[in-house]
Amino acid sequence: MDAQPFARHLKILEFALSSMLRRRVKNAGLIVVFSAVVFLLSSIVFLTGAFRTEALATLQASPQLLVQRTMAGRHALIPLDYSEVIAQLPGVGTVTPRYWGYYYDIYTGANYTLLGITDDGLEAPGSAPLRLVEGAFIAPGQRNVCLIGAGVARMRGARVGSIVSLRNTRGWMSEYEVVGLFKSASQLLTNDLILLPEADLKALFAMPDDQATDLMIEVYNPLEVDNISRKILERLPDTRPISHAEILRTYETLFNWRGGLLLAMFLGAVAAFMILAWDKATGLSADERREIGILKAIGWETSDILELKFWEGAVLALVAFLAGVTAGYAHVFYLGAGLLAPILQGWSTLFPAIDLAPRIEPYGLAVLLLFTVAPYIVATIVPAWKAAITDPDRVMRSA
Amino acid sequence: MSEMVSLRDVSRVYNQGRPNEVRPVEAVSLDIGVGEIAVLKGPSGSGKTTLLALIGCMVRPTSGRILISGRDVAKLPERFLTGVRRDTFGFVFQHLHLIPGISVLENVMLPLYPLGISFSAAKRRAVVLIEQLDLAHRRRFTVETLSGGERQRVAIARALINAPQAILADEPTAHLDGDLSGELMRIFADLRGQGKTVVIATHDPLVYDNPLIDRVMTMRDGRILGGDDE
Amino acid sequence: MKYHILFGLLAAELGLFAALHLHAGTDAERRTAELADTRALVAKLGLTDLALWTEARYTRHPSQADRFAAFQDFPAAIEHFPAGSIIAPPAALRMPALGDAPLLIDGDR
Repeated sequence: MDAQPFARHLKILEFALSSMLRRRVKNAGLIVVFSAVVFLLSSIVFLTGAFRTEALATLQASPQLLVQRTMAGRHALIPLDYSEVIAQLPGVGTVTPRYWGYYYDIYTGANYTLLGITDDGLEAPGSAPLRLVEGAFIAPGQRNVCLIGAGVARMRGARVGSIVSLRNTRGWMSEYEVVGLFKSASQLLTNDLILLPEADLKALFAMPDDQATDLMIEVYNPLEVDNISRKILERLPDTRPISHAEILRTYETLFNWRGGLLLAMFLGAVAAFMILAWDKATGLSADERREIGILKAIGWETSDILELKFWEGAVLALVAFLAGVTAGYAHVFYLGAGLLAPILQGWSTLFPAIDLAPRIEPYGLAVLLLFTVAPYIVATIVPAWKAAITDPDRVMRSA
Repeated sequence: MSEMVSLRDVSRVYNQGRPNEVRPVEAVSLDIGVGEIAVLKGPSGSGKTTLLALIGCMVRPTSGRILISGRDVAKLPERFLTGVRRDTFGFVFQHLHLIPGISVLENVMLPLYPLGISFSAAKRRAVVLIEQLDLAHRRRFTVETLSGGERQRVAIARALINAPQAILADEPTAHLDGDLSGELMRIFADLRGQGKTVVIATHDPLVYDNPLIDRVMTMRDGRILGGDDE
Repeated sequence: MKYHILFGLLAAELGLFAALHLHAGTDAERRTAELADTRALVAKLGLTDLALWTEARYTRHPSQADRFAAFQDFPAAIEHFPAGSIIAPPAALRMPALGDAPLLIDGDR
C-alpha cells in the first residue's frame, strides 16, 4: 500500500513531462529566459560572496587600530607627538606612523594610491613578503625607487627598471625607478598602489616632517581595542580611532547581497523575472484550459490537476535554476565575471582582473531559489487552479 | 432487472430567476437497468447532453433525486462525486476530447494517473483494452495521426480503463460514416455482453433504429416524451 | 519512462556543478599559500582596503571614509540631490588632454 501514493505522483509527473514536451518550443524558451535570470543573479551572489570572503580573509592582517586626526571637520595629517601620548596607554605596543595619499594622474586619468614605507618598516624582521613581488623590494635607505601594482604597471606600460614620473607639489616631475612589481596574485589589494620610501613620499607631497597621515596602533589584547579607542578619544579629542573590527564590518556589509549597487542589480533582475512570471500567470492558453477540462471530465480531481501544474512549474524551474547556477559559477570563477565587470567597474579606470577563490554561497543561493523558483511555481499553479474549479460538464459542450 | 440509474423528477435550471433563465432538463424521471443499451433521442437543444451529464454526476440537479445503484448522489459533496463518477462511469464525448501530442497508450492511461496503481499495472490494463479495440498497431502513435474511427475507439478505450459499470456516450457517431457507426454499435453490444450499461445520446437514426438497442427515450424541450416510442 | 530522463538530467546538472566546484578547488593549495603571502603583505604595509574602485576616497578606502566629518562622504551617506547619483564625473577629469600641463622633470629648471 505504501508504494501506491508514490506511484500516483510519478504518473502525474510523467504526464507533466509529456505535456511539457508537447509545448517544447514554449518551454524551451521559458527555460532559456529563466536560466538567464538565474545566471545573472547567481553570478552576483557568487561574486559578492567571493569578494566578501576574500576581503575578510586578507584583511584579517590589517592593523588592529588606526588613529586619524580631524581638523575643521576633515581628515588631516596627524602630528607625530600624538604617538607618544598613545604609546603611554597601558596595553599599547608599538605605534607606527603611516604615510599615504592619492595621486591623480592626468595622463592616464587614473587615481593611484601612494604609500610610503619607513626604514623601520623595511627593517622589521620576518615579514618580508617577497613572494608576491617580482623584482626586488625597496632596500632600507634607498631613494627615488618604487614598487608598483599590476594596474599601475599596465597603465604606465612600466616594467622592472622603468621610470615612473610623478608631479610634485611645485609642478615639477619627480622620477622613480621601478625596482619591483606586485604580482597579480595580490592585485585585489595592490592594483593601484605605488610604494615609495617614506622620505620620497613626504618630499613629493611636501608633507611636514613632524606629521604622518595616520597612526597604526598595536594592541596586545584584541579584546581591549574598544577600551583603548575610548581612552585615546579622551586624551586626544580631535582624533578618530578605526578598529580592525570596523574595517571587517565595512566589508561584511559592502559585499552583503543586500548591499548597495548589487542590490540594485539584484532587484532589477528580480523585477524583470516577476514580470515574466506574471505574464505566464495571466496567459493560460485556450489549449491548456481545454486540457484541464478534459482531465476534470475523465475523473481527475482539482488537486490532481494542481499537482500536475506544480510538477510542470517545478520541473522547468529546477532544470533552469541548476543550469543558471552552474553557468553563473563558471562565469564568475572561470571567466572572471566578464559580464558583470563593466557594471562593477563604474567610473574606475583601474580595476583589477577578477580571480577569486571559488566559493559556494549557500545562504545567497537559498534566497535566490526562494525568489525565483517559488514565485514561478505559484504563477503556474494559480491560473490552473482557477481553470480547474470550473464544472467538468463544460467540456461536454465545447468543441 | 436491477436499476443502474434512476432519476426522480430531476430538473436543471441555469441562471435561475434571471431573464436568461434556461431549463434544459425539466422534471425527468427514468430508470435504466443494468446491462441495458438505452438511447436518448432528440433534436439538438432538447436537453440530451445535460441529461447525460446529470446521469454521469458531472452536474448537480437543481431539484429531484438521482440514484446510482440505489444510492442518492444529488447531495454528495464534490470530492465524493468525483469518486463516484470515476468508479461508475466512462464517458465518450461528442468531440472525443483526446489529448493531442501524446500517444494512444498515454491517452488511454490518462484516467488512471491520479490513482494509486503502479505505472506498469496501468500500462498492462491499457494494453489489454487497446488490443480488444483493435488498436495495437497504433499504440505509439499520437492521436492526431489516427483516422476518425480509430480515434473513436481510443476514446472508448479511455472510457473503459477504470472498468466502469456504465458507458455514457454523447453523439458517438457524429464523426463516423455508416460502416463505422455499425461497428461502434457492435462494440457497445459487446460491452453489454460484459454486463455493462450503455447510455447513448444521439439524433442519428443509424443508432436509435439499430436492432441492438434495448430502449429508446425521446426528449424534447427538456422532457422525456411518453414512454418507449419507436 | 520520461521521469527517468528528467532525474538523469537533474543529476547531470548537479554533477556538472559539483565537478566544476571540485575542479575549481584543485588549486586550493596555491590559493592558501597566496592567502598567507597576501596577509603578510597586508601586515607589512598596513593595508586596510581592497583596491577595487579608484574613483573616490570612499570607494578606494571604504573603511577609512570620513564618517566623522561634517559633510558625509561615504557610500551609505544619503545623496542630497538626486542628480548626484546619475551625473558622470566632469569630462576634464575623465579625458585629460595631453599637454594640459608642462612636462617638467625635477631639477630641469
